[in-house]
Amino acid sequence: MAEIVLKLEKVTKTYIMGQNRSAGKAYNAIRKYHKKYESICAKNDEKLEKKMGKTLERAQTAFAKEKYELAYKTITGKNLKKNLKDKGVVVHALNGVDLEIKKGEMIAIMGPSGSGKSTLLNALGLIDDVSSGKVYIDGILASKLKAGKLPEIRAKKLGFVFQSYNLIPTLSALENVMLALRYSGAGRGERRKKAEEALKLVGLGDRMKHTPNELSGGQRQRVAIARSLVNEPAVIFGDELTGELDTKTSTEIMNLLIALNKKKGQTFIIVTHNPEVAKMCQRTIRMRDGKIVK
Amino acid sequence: MFEIIKNMFRRKLRTALTVFGIAIGILALVVMGGIAEKLDLLVKGGTDYYADKVQVQSAESNFFITTPLTLDKGEELKKVDGAKCVAASIGTTLDKELEAVNFGPPPLIQGRQTECDQYESFEITLTDGRDITDDDRGKVVLGADLIKKFEAEIGKEIEIRGKKYEIVGLMEKTFTAPDSVALMSFHDAQLVIYEDLPEIVKSQLKATEVTNGFIVNPDNGTDPNELARTLESEVKDIKAVGPKDFEDSIASTVGTFTSIIYGIAIISLLVGTLSIINTMTMSISERTKEIGVKKAIGAKTQDILIEYLTEAGLIGLLGGAIGIGLGTLLVYVINSAMEKTGDKIFLLTPRLLWGALIFSVVLGVVAGIYPALHAARLSIVKSLREE
Repeated sequence: MAEIVLKLEKVTKTYIMGQNRSAGKAYNAIRKYHKKYESICAKNDEKLEKKMGKTLERAQTAFAKEKYELAYKTITGKNLKKNLKDKGVVVHALNGVDLEIKKGEMIAIMGPSGSGKSTLLNALGLIDDVSSGKVYIDGILASKLKAGKLPEIRAKKLGFVFQSYNLIPTLSALENVMLALRYSGAGRGERRKKAEEALKLVGLGDRMKHTPNELSGGQRQRVAIARSLVNEPAVIFGDELTGELDTKTSTEIMNLLIALNKKKGQTFIIVTHNPEVAKMCQRTIRMRDGKIVK
Repeated sequence: MFEIIKNMFRRKLRTALTVFGIAIGILALVVMGGIAEKLDLLVKGGTDYYADKVQVQSAESNFFITTPLTLDKGEELKKVDGAKCVAASIGTTLDKELEAVNFGPPPLIQGRQTECDQYESFEITLTDGRDITDDDRGKVVLGADLIKKFEAEIGKEIEIRGKKYEIVGLMEKTFTAPDSVALMSFHDAQLVIYEDLPEIVKSQLKATEVTNGFIVNPDNGTDPNELARTLESEVKDIKAVGPKDFEDSIASTVGTFTSIIYGIAIISLLVGTLSIINTMTMSISERTKEIGVKKAIGAKTQDILIEYLTEAGLIGLLGGAIGIGLGTLLVYVINSAMEKTGDKIFLLTPRLLWGALIFSVVLGVVAGIYPALHAARLSIVKSLREE
């Protein structure tokens, strides 16, 4: 018993050097219960000893699981439920969704309209809350964070590319990308440098000063992609990101995402209606009635 | 910041109209405030002048019309307890007939006996020439506002009430009553008011016996207000005005008037405020989706709040600056036009102008609070759905 605890302590110490608070809680619980366990062992109360032994085991399992999340998963949704009221009728937009997405994966989410794919994307992307369940992003239990902490996670860990580009019309391509850096707290000089790099990466090195009105649909979406990846987020979400583009441009944009995925190991989660787009991804998650179907 | 300025002019006409609304409000505040500031200074000058003395007039006099007294009243006043020094003092309008429109005190002729000058705390500085002495005949010292009116310079002869006077001194501008005063020797002033008297009075009096007021300086330790009451009770047919009487009659009336003036200006600004609220609410409803996008990519509530408050504040600042510019121009034009009559209505002080500018910015920001809070609290998902 003592051996296991020592080993756990060692792992936990390394682990606490990171940012995960819930794992810290698990570690504290294990230590607390271990001390109690030892004192109970000394009393020779068999019944209590057994009970405490089980609790300790549970705590250890919980800790091991959390550790696992951090090591392998970029984003995890656990039993996600989202209930919406529509004219007094409760609609289960998400009805117990579990999913794990590994670092560097490129995932497509498909399903008919109203199947809950966008709701899932919004929940994982922290722009909408869930009725119950947990969302982990990069090892952080994000669904339990206070509202005031969310903007920082959105700015640093998440990127969004929307169907209708959603660029700020008064700003140039460069300024649009710099905006994301401003919100993540980057300094002025750093903003320009990084934004220029990101725009070059998506092939718009010669269009930086253009405003969205002066760019084609495909170019606008490239600006949006540059904006989403400029903070090097853990995951980039794409909501029907080729929805307003012709086939040729759609393929170009998807090829760009694949290149970024390979070159930078960037994780992508893409909601799409288009089977061609889904085919280009490594894995497809299908949804129906707020659930993932095999 | 650059983005905010660009945003302001996305709807050029709407922003321009809002800015114009604020500008008109601030213009009203500047112009009305200019009157209030002028009045304020006049009152302050009066308060300073009356601070340590009692002015005595005939009981039938009011603030604008003075009836004559004879110098022997001065002897009675001297006998009253607490009166340290009594000097006859004449004040009458520069022109025989009062001008129809007059703002503040009309241009006046003043002459006073010099016996009590050592007790006088209210000092006037000359920019040129010399002061009037008792022995001067046909000489005059002019207040700053009258210099323009008479195109005055030392040695020039001017005509007052049909008589020629030589200018011997010019006064420094005080922004208060002395600016519109022509000082002459007591003897000359006596002749002026004597001319105005009805023949029947003239037949019973000599010019050297008349005055239309006295200045009484109180003993050290005697309250001038109490002295005024004592003088009234012990000397017949006179009215004594102490510092408190001046405060009560003029300062408080002018104070109310000033409040009304500012009140009117502020009401006109309220209209401007409402138009900022309207403009900002419209802008925000048009930019709902953008706000959603900004929040989705990491903007904090305070980022959105600051952005829209800054925009509202800038509209206020721009409106304020234009309003102040136009107001100053208008005041300059009116003051220049009226300079020849020696009567300037407006006084623009730094505190008024800075106050108006700061007020316009604060107004913009306050008007922006509600729309900005609304924008910052929008749900991301709902905002993104907006078209």
